[in-house]
Amino acid sequence: MNIDEIFDYTSFTIDREPHIVLDREVCTSCDQRGCVNCCPARCYTWSEAEGKMTFVHDGCLECGTCYVVCHKNAFTRWSYPRGGYGVAYRMT
Amino acid sequence: MNREFQAIVVGAGPAGSSAALTMARAGLDVALIERGTFPGEKNMFGGLLHRMTSIEEVFPDFWERAPLERHIAKKGTTFMTGDASFHVQHECTGFDRTPYNGYTVFRPRFDRWLAEEAVAAGATLINRSTVEDLVIKNGRIAGVTIAGRKGEICAPVVVAADGVLSFTAKKAGLRQPRFSPDQMAVGVKALFDMPKEVIDDRFGLVRDQGFANEYVGVTAGVRGGGFLYTNYDTVSVGIVVHISSLRDSGKTPYDLLNSFLEQPQFTKLLRGGRLMEYSAHVIPEGGYAMLPELYGDGILVAGDAAALCNATGVNLEGINLASHSGILAARTVIDAFERKDFSRKTLKRYKERLDLSWVMQDLKGFRNAPKMLHIDRIYNEYPELVCSMMEHIYRIDGTPKTSIPKLMLREAREKIGLKNLLGDLFTAWRAL
Repeated sequence: MNIDEIFDYTSFTIDREPHIVLDREVCTSCDQRGCVNCCPARCYTWSEAEGKMTFVHDGCLECGTCYVVCHKNAFTRWSYPRGGYGVAYRMT
Repeated sequence: MNREFQAIVVGAGPAGSSAALTMARAGLDVALIERGTFPGEKNMFGGLLHRMTSIEEVFPDFWERAPLERHIAKKGTTFMTGDASFHVQHECTGFDRTPYNGYTVFRPRFDRWLAEEAVAAGATLINRSTVEDLVIKNGRIAGVTIAGRKGEICAPVVVAADGVLSFTAKKAGLRQPRFSPDQMAVGVKALFDMPKEVIDDRFGLVRDQGFANEYVGVTAGVRGGGFLYTNYDTVSVGIVVHISSLRDSGKTPYDLLNSFLEQPQFTKLLRGGRLMEYSAHVIPEGGYAMLPELYGDGILVAGDAAALCNATGVNLEGINLASHSGILAARTVIDAFERKDFSRKTLKRYKERLDLSWVMQDLKGFRNAPKMLHIDRIYNEYPELVCSMMEHIYRIDGTPKTSIPKLMLREAREKIGLKNLLGDLFTAWRAL
């Protein structure tokens, strides 16, 4: 299971508007950043050099892990995608 | 444009569709709102649908009717280390006869079927609709709004069955605003394609018999475990790990899954299998201690939204609790219509019904299980102990053998410490 190939396995209908929005200032001051290692789809990347958190919603499995693990409540928005968008499981 | 119904169910999963089905059969005009393009599109679980006695009451021919993969005739537990494993297994003819004890299912098929049964009974299914907010009129819940759409969907009562994060319950002030990562787990799963005959031969199955196996010791010391479930011609494998423990480990769920898949005794079970789908979801594992408020004025909470999951380490039940709670919520709404009162005074009957049912009795009975599952030794030291003890017992190497009780004592002292062992046994005794 190569996480880089997630789009080969799992289907998504990607919305232009992200359903999760971060206040990156909060991430910069965070002492844990559990989102980076806990997210099963690797949507969160922390750049130590730039001191910057990046979130990409494209491959988000809508699992809820980041919502649970973030103790700083860094989300200016955390909602499920609009109806019809996001991950679309075929079997599972 | 506003639409009027007698009741609204948010989420067409097992809890929501069971609720909608029960209300529709009683003649209520019920809206079943689903954010996927169809029910089940967003739903993910390990793969075991435990026997749903309350759905069998509605459909006595459940196993003929529902889209099931295999019935579970065989269950096992494997203690595993990086290079060894010790396996125990149970199988009986009773689990191979109807009513079956459990099944493997695909949620995009099963949840869709259950929602369609609710529609056949008269419920209105509204797909592609993410509930955005509750409508409050004169201080009472009066309906919901949909993200990106104008107008309201109105009803005097709402059943929140919108899953583990339940934003509906949150907006009604029924659940804690933040979850504790100590009480939540995340499951990740890979689905492998495999011909039916290969699955039958490899796992010792015939007809549509299925095998469910749990693995302890495969998560690199992170609190959690692995699973393997056989579907008709695919195999589901994955791991479930506690979020706080995963966070502290710095490891990723997909790396943990990969090392599990590469364990030499495990990897040969999947030989030839092709990866078909990868999925993940959060599971409420806090048990009785994390239950939210289950009702309020004009609102009831059911299924994962109400954290109705019973993770004891032996069985991981959720879908059966979801369905039963949905039905009990629906019965309470039906009562409320007879009394024409949707206040918490009437809706508290839901909590009373749950308390009297096996759902709450099991959750109460196993309320110490989460404490047991926080013993970190379960995930490393104990599987090591079991595997190393068995290796010593079986090994023939031209030296005199140690008596088994002496060996057990020595290994336990070395790997666990006798004081820890006694303490853990006591915790497990109280938990189970």
